[in-house]
Amino acid sequence: MTPSPALEISGLSKTFGEKVAVDHVDLTVPRGSFYGLVGQNGAGKTTTLSMAVGLLRPDHGTARVFGADVWTDPSRAKQLVGVLPDGLAMPERLTGREVLTYLGLLRGLTKDVVAARAEELLSVLELDGADKTLVIEYSTGMRKKIGLATALLHAPKLLVLDEPFEAVDPVSAATIKMILRGFVAGGGSVVLSSHVMALVEQLCDHVAVIDKGRVAVAGPLAEVRGEGSLEDRFVELVGAVPAGARGLSWL
Amino acid sequence: MAVALTLVRMKVAILRHSGTGQRGQMMAAGGFLGLVLAAGTIYLATLGGDWLAAAYAVWMLGWIIGPVFSGGGDETLRPEFFSLLGLPPHRMAAGLLAAAFVGVAPAISLIALAGLAVGATAAGGPAGGNVLVAVPAMVLQLAVFVLVSKVAVAVLGIALRSRAGAVGAGVVNGAVLAFLGQAWVFAVAFGQGAAVPEFVRYLPSGWGLLAVRGHYWALGALVVLIVLLLGAWAALLSRRAGASRPSTRGRRPVRAATAREAVVAKELRTWSRDLVRTHQLTFALAYGLFFAGAPLALGWIGLLPWAAPLFVVMAASMTANMYGTDGTALWLPLMTPGATAADVRGRQQAWLVTVAPVALALAVVLTPLADGPWPLVLAVTAAVLGGGAGLVPLISVYVLVPSIDPRNRGGNPLRTSEDDGALTGLAYLTIFLVALSAAPAAGVALAAGWWGVAVGLATGALCFWGFGLLAERRLRAHGPELLHLMRTGRRPDAGKPGSSFQLPDMPKAQRAATVVCLSFGAIPLVPQGIIAAVMVSDGRLRHSWFLATYMPPGLRWPVAAGMVLLGLAMYGVGAWLPYRARKRAR
Repeated sequence: MTPSPALEISGLSKTFGEKVAVDHVDLTVPRGSFYGLVGQNGAGKTTTLSMAVGLLRPDHGTARVFGADVWTDPSRAKQLVGVLPDGLAMPERLTGREVLTYLGLLRGLTKDVVAARAEELLSVLELDGADKTLVIEYSTGMRKKIGLATALLHAPKLLVLDEPFEAVDPVSAATIKMILRGFVAGGGSVVLSSHVMALVEQLCDHVAVIDKGRVAVAGPLAEVRGEGSLEDRFVELVGAVPAGARGLSWL
Repeated sequence: MAVALTLVRMKVAILRHSGTGQRGQMMAAGGFLGLVLAAGTIYLATLGGDWLAAAYAVWMLGWIIGPVFSGGGDETLRPEFFSLLGLPPHRMAAGLLAAAFVGVAPAISLIALAGLAVGATAAGGPAGGNVLVAVPAMVLQLAVFVLVSKVAVAVLGIALRSRAGAVGAGVVNGAVLAFLGQAWVFAVAFGQGAAVPEFVRYLPSGWGLLAVRGHYWALGALVVLIVLLLGAWAALLSRRAGASRPSTRGRRPVRAATAREAVVAKELRTWSRDLVRTHQLTFALAYGLFFAGAPLALGWIGLLPWAAPLFVVMAASMTANMYGTDGTALWLPLMTPGATAADVRGRQQAWLVTVAPVALALAVVLTPLADGPWPLVLAVTAAVLGGGAGLVPLISVYVLVPSIDPRNRGGNPLRTSEDDGALTGLAYLTIFLVALSAAPAAGVALAAGWWGVAVGLATGALCFWGFGLLAERRLRAHGPELLHLMRTGRRPDAGKPGSSFQLPDMPKAQRAATVVCLSFGAIPLVPQGIIAAVMVSDGRLRHSWFLATYMPPGLRWPVAAGMVLLGLAMYGVGAWLPYRARKRAR
């Protein structure tokens, strides 16, 4: 029997009112892979990932983390996965260290383990200088980093990251990339969504293109992009015609 | 003028888009209530005397205090929208003022101000001339109302950037609301039961009335006041920038060792660091103290010990949107296996740690001053403490009002939600339910003295445990739906009834109206209506709490009858709205 994949999504669907946001998405994220999910804004990436980790109840379909069903066996699934959602709040009136302490204890880790891990995470993510700063005062890059720290705190086997590089400065981005590469090298699996093709090409070994709530193509990066770049392949798949070519009449 | 016209058009467009569906119905419900109040005001104009001046004073206080309860007032057009345009502050203030006149509340107030025209004819003299004065007086008076409200919100916005400001604003707002609730006490105290105190006539809210009564200088005074307020508002607008800054003093290390303790630590830190929460608690404290202290003006000290339970009930009501206020941070306990129980229990514990010491101190200090009744006060205080600690998380997961994430609250820190009506309804619902949770303890204390305290402790503990358990189950079963609601402001399945309250699925505004009507219908109907009527017929006048017994002879029966009618009408509306919703659902 082959070991169950890190994340297996089958037939996930979600409709908001009239709009079909996600339409029978199937994805398999192999163990140890660095998986990129690309698509335009509103293609359904965030909705898919939210359903895959248990933050949004799907209309149909299932999601399994290392074989544990996210909706019927949530405690096992949620132990194995670390999540960085896009744009959700944190306990805003705590400092970074307090957030990690709070979450670690909530996860049932012992006080000493929490303190040691928080210290290490803060120093690796270069947040340790901000011990007096509340999360509400963090910059976007710092928010992403503290979010990544909360995702890593309980030693998950799979990371699901929604737009981890959005609005992050190059220095912070380099730190995050380094940590993610290290995580995969150590046997972990990563799924991240992005609409920056170059970044996905640089980091990921597998990629799926989501368009209008469906999987347009999925597989190892080399197969998906073929001869050209991922960007060419993406534009070809989603059929978008750059509208800016005409220019603006008053400029 | 161009700026003003553009802003007015923009506001009309926004209102037109929001005039449908739930928001539209909410506006309609609020508008209806306002029309009833406006009609009452116009009726007062026919009575002569200072009743109309008093009514306008209440309207103006309403304009000042309203934004505190409804999440920052009318913010359809926000100053932040236009900050990149580089408009001079006075032009922007003038434009925003023009736009502020468009809306339901100003329209209703203008109708209420039609009482000036009625008052002009009632005042006699050269009636035609005075009625002509009434038109500019109405407009100027309305401008004063709108501007006073805007300036109050702006001052509060700046005050809430510092702890001292948040505390000060809480005290003032609590005092004003308590004054509104107990206004009759002061009216009676100053006017000796027959009339409104004379100074009310000379408040800015009464200047329009002075003008139509022949003191034409008052029109000029209104204009001067408007210019001053506009200048103040323009100056305040230019200082309104960015979000409120929390205090960043030394951090005590987290000493918690378990999940529940960690939640308590997080909550207590949030209580002390979030100035919006500081404001809520000070508000509740000031309200309790001023409301219970107001009858001292009549020489009656009996209400004073009730500051303790009043504070608890008001604190519960202000904090009832506990999960909503944290915004989408709910995803963290949802993603943590087994964390929901620790989260609910920890929040309950932190709420109790924050509220109980103050409440107990109030009870212990104030009860001897009034010479008892010890058992009743302690019984009720214990019961509402437990009731509040249980009901606050329960209510906040069942009737969650989606709120703005703390970091996006912007320049108006009072604005924690886009859905003002629902927040107000939630506040009333909480007041009613928490007060109700003290009923058994109060009953036993009245009948059997100290046994009531035991009952209060028992029901308090039961509420804490049982309602907490229900809240936790709800959170575990519907966590993703609550998160989705918080994220998008919409319920995922609009078709299903959202909660286990027995109200059918109906728009939030109607739900809130139903709850308010059913909760408070009893107050006008029973004590202020029936009991007051019995007292009037017995000739027992000027009795502690019963408005009709303080009225001049001609008004005693009409006031009691009016209260009965108001109570019946409230029950009628409270029954009719769900009935109609059920009928529609079929």
